[in-house]
Amino acid sequence: MATKDAPVNNPMVDPLTGEYRVIAPGHTFKSVTEKVSRIVLTSHTPLGWWFGFLLAGGFVMMLMTAVTWLFLKGVGIWAITIPVAWGFAIINFVWWIGIGHAGTLISAILLLFKQSWRNSINRFAEAMTIFAVVCAGMFPLIHVGRPWLGYWLFPYPNTMNYWPQFRSPLLWDVFAVSTYATISVVFWYMGMIPDLGTLRDRSQSKLGQFFYGLLSVGWRGSVRHWVRYETASLLLAGLATPLVLSVHSVISLDFSVALLPGWHTTIFPPYFVAGAIYSGFAMVLTLAIPIRKFYHLEDLITIRHIDNCGKVMLATGMIVAYGYSTEVFMSWYSASHWEYFMMWNRMFGPMGWSYWVLITCNIALPQLMWIRKFRTNVGLMFLMSLIVNTGMWFERFVIVVTSLTRDYLPSSWGTYRATRWDYMTFAGTLGLFTFLFFLFIRFLPMIPMSELRLMLPQAKVREKKELLPEAGD
Amino acid sequence: MNKSEVTGHRVQGAAGSPEPGARSAERAMSEEATQSLVQIEQPNHRAQSSELSAQGGDAALHAGVGKKLTLEQVRAKLADENGNPKKGKRFWRSVDELADAPEFAQLVNEEFPSQASEWIDPVSRRSFLKVMGASMALAGLAGCTKQPDEAIMPYVTAPPDLILGKPVYFASAFPFTTGAVPVLIKSAAYRPIKVDGNPEHPYNRGGSDPITQATLLDMYDPDRSQHVLYRGETRPWISFVGEFRAMLADKKASGGQGLYFLSTTVTSPTLAAQWQQGQKNYPQAKFIQYDTVNRDSHYTAAKQAFGEYVDAQYRLDQADVIVSLDANFLGGAQYPGFHRLVQDYANKRKLAGTDAMNRLYAVETGTTLTGFKAEHRLALRPSQMAAFAQALAGAVGAGAANGGNWADHEAKYLAGVAADLNANGGKCVVIPGEMAPPEVHLAAFAINEKLGNVGRTVVYTETVNPMPSIQMADLKGLVADMNAGKVDWLVILNANPVYAAPADLEFESALGKVGTIVHLGSHRDETGEIAHWHINNAHYLEMWSDARAYDGTVSIVQPMIAPLYEGRTAHEILQSMLDHPDMSAYDAVRATWMQNGGPLAKGDAEFNWRKSLHDGWIADTAFTPKSVTAKGGTGAAATVAAAGSGVEVLLQPDPHVYDGRYANVGWLQEIPRPLTNLAWDNAAQMSYATLEKYGLQENDAVEISVGGRKIVAGALAVPGQSDGVVVVTLGQGRRIGRVAGGVGYNGYLVQVSDAPYQQTGATLKRTGDIYDLCAPKSNHIDQRAVFAGGPRPGDGMHSLEGDESLDRGIIRYATLTEYKADPDFAHEGVGHWAPKPDETMFAAYRYDKNAWGMSIDLNSCVGCNACITACYAENNIPVVGREQTKIGRIMQWIRLDTYYEGDLAAPRAHFQPMTCHQCENAPCEQVCPVGATVHTPEGLNMMVYNRCVGTRYCSNNCPYKVRRFNFLLYSDYETESLKLMRNPEVSVRSRGVMEKCSYCVQRIEAVKIEADKENRDIHDGEIRTACQQACPTNAIIFGNINDKSSQVAKIKTNQRTYGVLADINTRPRTTYVAGVLNINEELAKSLGEYTS
Repeated sequence: MATKDAPVNNPMVDPLTGEYRVIAPGHTFKSVTEKVSRIVLTSHTPLGWWFGFLLAGGFVMMLMTAVTWLFLKGVGIWAITIPVAWGFAIINFVWWIGIGHAGTLISAILLLFKQSWRNSINRFAEAMTIFAVVCAGMFPLIHVGRPWLGYWLFPYPNTMNYWPQFRSPLLWDVFAVSTYATISVVFWYMGMIPDLGTLRDRSQSKLGQFFYGLLSVGWRGSVRHWVRYETASLLLAGLATPLVLSVHSVISLDFSVALLPGWHTTIFPPYFVAGAIYSGFAMVLTLAIPIRKFYHLEDLITIRHIDNCGKVMLATGMIVAYGYSTEVFMSWYSASHWEYFMMWNRMFGPMGWSYWVLITCNIALPQLMWIRKFRTNVGLMFLMSLIVNTGMWFERFVIVVTSLTRDYLPSSWGTYRATRWDYMTFAGTLGLFTFLFFLFIRFLPMIPMSELRLMLPQAKVREKKELLPEAGD
Repeated sequence: MNKSEVTGHRVQGAAGSPEPGARSAERAMSEEATQSLVQIEQPNHRAQSSELSAQGGDAALHAGVGKKLTLEQVRAKLADENGNPKKGKRFWRSVDELADAPEFAQLVNEEFPSQASEWIDPVSRRSFLKVMGASMALAGLAGCTKQPDEAIMPYVTAPPDLILGKPVYFASAFPFTTGAVPVLIKSAAYRPIKVDGNPEHPYNRGGSDPITQATLLDMYDPDRSQHVLYRGETRPWISFVGEFRAMLADKKASGGQGLYFLSTTVTSPTLAAQWQQGQKNYPQAKFIQYDTVNRDSHYTAAKQAFGEYVDAQYRLDQADVIVSLDANFLGGAQYPGFHRLVQDYANKRKLAGTDAMNRLYAVETGTTLTGFKAEHRLALRPSQMAAFAQALAGAVGAGAANGGNWADHEAKYLAGVAADLNANGGKCVVIPGEMAPPEVHLAAFAINEKLGNVGRTVVYTETVNPMPSIQMADLKGLVADMNAGKVDWLVILNANPVYAAPADLEFESALGKVGTIVHLGSHRDETGEIAHWHINNAHYLEMWSDARAYDGTVSIVQPMIAPLYEGRTAHEILQSMLDHPDMSAYDAVRATWMQNGGPLAKGDAEFNWRKSLHDGWIADTAFTPKSVTAKGGTGAAATVAAAGSGVEVLLQPDPHVYDGRYANVGWLQEIPRPLTNLAWDNAAQMSYATLEKYGLQENDAVEISVGGRKIVAGALAVPGQSDGVVVVTLGQGRRIGRVAGGVGYNGYLVQVSDAPYQQTGATLKRTGDIYDLCAPKSNHIDQRAVFAGGPRPGDGMHSLEGDESLDRGIIRYATLTEYKADPDFAHEGVGHWAPKPDETMFAAYRYDKNAWGMSIDLNSCVGCNACITACYAENNIPVVGREQTKIGRIMQWIRLDTYYEGDLAAPRAHFQPMTCHQCENAPCEQVCPVGATVHTPEGLNMMVYNRCVGTRYCSNNCPYKVRRFNFLLYSDYETESLKLMRNPEVSVRSRGVMEKCSYCVQRIEAVKIEADKENRDIHDGEIRTACQQACPTNAIIFGNINDKSSQVAKIKTNQRTYGVLADINTRPRTTYVAGVLNINEELAKSLGEYTS
């Protein structure tokens, strides 16, 4: 797509294609490495970092408080009741897991599809995945009534003659999420090894040399290393790719396998996956935009990235919209009283407001992203990313809570009002996520230097046939 | 109940010694001696060794010897010539010889709690608890916990009829103001753990009610007072007796001038006899009975019509048409004769092999279960009731017509009922309400007389209360005497007048003029706090007494356990006035029935006594009908307060906590009340129109002022309440008690003695505050408020939940005509489809032997909540408290779903007990990740508490929402007395565990073990679930559906049987029998009711 409305004399616009560049012109191997590694290796930690770090740390303390109280008293401190036996914990779990998906998509699927523009953002998208999985993984553990027996969900040999019940989707969750977490961590770490080697070599402090030396597991950058590195990356990407689709599909089965109207629907797996990527990309933007500004990384994370993320969000958002409309259609077409009532209740019941929040945030407002000017406006896109994240949280709220408040027997209808512990736990995980992210950007290379260097024109001089346009297409 | 299990052996182990001293050795020996006696005593007749101590004591009495052996003497007798204790077999023989000596018998006798009057050593209670602790440890309750630090005392030789883990059953009776409820008490290791109706008793035939069920918790209530107190300080009982007798000695000359007793209604003939004897010695002393819910109206009318006090007993098994004039005879034990009435009513609605049904009309001023079970219900204002009754009498020719100014629908209703009554002379009955004015009773007497019902559907008998009186008049007299300074001593027996006397009497200030106030009560309540002497009352499960059921049958109340806190009874206080002040209640009761030509005196008195203890009643003591004739006339024409002249106030007792005396019973507070669904609360109940008229909303705090008195209550709209009426519930607003304290408002603050139940001219005012009512379950207040509006045919209000329940086929019913035309109505129509058993892709489970199933007859269920209370007791269900209840965490395994149908102003209600359906295709089973809920080979969905990690997925996936989760630690692991109460066969669930109905699997297994031992199949009806056993109408049937001859299998082939939500293929094992209403077609047509 040509950038007709971009100013021609903008150095960030490639005159050949009219597209925004993936990397600003004028960078060299050295300048890229310098720019990224300096963030980590500097001895002057910015004050802003400290401020954010401590603020997030405060939220982590709040999470600790909430969870400690939870373990002391029981899940009754939350708002869950009969009939709404799942509440914030499950909503947050699904939401966080969904957010993680973008990282894997960017690092695995886009790698396989040779979308090299992904290189600038894939490292911290992967980190986001891991931290999101950390936050998500906490919830199934703490939401059970007797968390100290949570290990009973794993099939392991024991003297109690105890074995899990494999028909339950919750058990599938255990496998799906733990596999996902493992692959993500391995992929993330392995991708970092060349950069860790760079940091080891550039570090001035003994501690840094030791620390990064340990982590870089003897990376010397030899061709043999590189060959194996590339192969392993492809293999791991191949492993991770199905996970992008499977994890959220499995999680959606928690709902579809149940017979509750509003849960019992076959469209959930695809639309959960789309929703996950949707919210994941929104979260990438939520993180990338402030970081880019704070560390002056506009050269490396360009308007192009933001624009591309916007396009992905638009596409997945439309899939999600299709999912919603199919649900509405089916509740009419099925001629099932249960479905009909569920949809009516979802829209106009006592919690109908949440449905309209969801529609507004996930479907109505994101249509603005059709407009290129909107997509290339950093401030508006930041706002949009927050809106989509809110919308996706409400999607889970609607599915979990609204369906449960009014199910089969009118006598058992109930309501749900979150308690302060619910809010504290949720805000606490946001804090934990941010906290971990602050540590990450301070101590690890948030942009893959090695991969970024590949995108520079200098990296492509060996190409024989013709001068390719700038990397990224 | 298995007859063989109903042995009569009584409390043991609570041993006391006449001489506190070198105790333990003596104790061991005397216990062994006792036990050997038990072995020797071979039961020759059906009533086993129920009264060993009694026999001993009796022997002593007959011997007339007060001389008793000391333990030294016993030892001496048991020792050989050289003074060494004998050992081995000879020892037993020696005891055998000893047992014949009356002195020894008396010694043994004192080891038993029947002689608790001499049991003054406080140490023995602690020892008793230790023994109990030991037996609980053996029963496995404390299996996983640390042994208590205190020394525990095992049985040296276990009593022969005690097999730990095997319960024993005793017959007794729960003395209630409206008449005793005959009960059968399950006792585990001599702890009563369950109270149920006595299945063989001719009066209730096994039926019970919530209050009767909950008396168990009442006994183990940790708030019970535990000591005799004088001005707040602990005193021994004997010092009270000393003071009391000193006072009596002073008053002997004046004939007891200034001595007053104030008691709740007496149903014990022995107590009455004791008083009558006391009256002879002290003719000036006065005995006043007062209960908030009393029979004043009935007695006033009876005196007027018959010239004497009589009780009316209605024979609903003979009645085809029943008209209730404000009588809530289906609502609970508060209506005299409830158990019998409700059963007879329901039996004529089962349509078993017949199309004949009774028809119920209810004219009522409040909203009661009776009204909502009626085919045709008419809501009136309280002031209209008397006039309506007179008008009805006039319409059937039984009195002067009261030409009241009736609205169109009221006039039509009146004409319809009158026509139906006239057409069914001799087969109909009119039942007046206890709290309705005397005119209503007069009208009912006249109508029944006129239509030839007397002797057929209604008989008049002696009164259950041996000393009938007009209680309010007596109370007023007492207060007048108190104010005049005439009352020197006031002995209050189990009453709480400081809390419950009408406000205008200002009882508390009158008490200030009384010399000495004595309060006998189970709790140190509002009155007990003011009284000089407070004496802790023994619970009926701890004492000897007797009481009449409403049909007149006498039951002996026998103790199930030694008094936990050495409580005393009214018998002992009254006995202190008499010639033999130390005579125990036990002896007094025996004397009443066994001496002086009493019914047990004929033939072998001892045998008769034991038989009556064993059976639970004294044969042939039911009242015989009296031939009395109503004088006719329905009294002066009642006037109706003009509508619009303020609001009318109707005072009603709480359906569960009654007049407040059970307010500290957690089960009764927590279980939602019928119709209003209120728990832990009472409200100002009114119609939607009234709510609107006064600019109120539900949950608003509203000030009700009437006659210058004011109370503030939460406003609650109750469908079906007549406009311009506010219902004030009595029994809440107690100040004292960890459960009762601070719950709801105190309705007594607007009660006045001249018009105790209804007043006119009240005003309502919104205070501006919000009163956060606790209404769990359906009808969630905030949702109802949103959805009640919306244009609908009629007056623009409808119940969304009711509509949905009909659309979804949850409630199915037909009129009798429709049913006759189409007996399969329950399976036709949208949402009524269900998959056939073989319509599945998967192999069905195979059940080779037993497959448990349940059927609930919606026509019989009256929504009384007895099943829920029974379930709490049987399954150790915790009480969660008000806040938790309000947000939907109530733990009841069986609940009563109430659906209103149609217009909110004049709805119909449908009651549906809802419990785990034990689905064949159980949605809960497949989603549990840890296999904590599994399918048994007999088709139950079992909850394995130990495996549950608490994901709550099963609850989400349960379409019936019958699973309950321990969100917090709800079970009380601390309170000692509650530990004794628990059913040892059911685990006490801890935090984080899901639980639910198990069809009382512990009962199933117990019977299976018995059947296995005898190598036979289980008989149909041998297993009864707790809810089934409690149900006063036998609406619940349980059994083996594989056995095609079983009752449950047969009823499941009934065409009216349907499964709730069966269309989602859960294949429930619990099914319902659809209701059929025998409507008056003409009346329905003219009123526009029952149009679809």
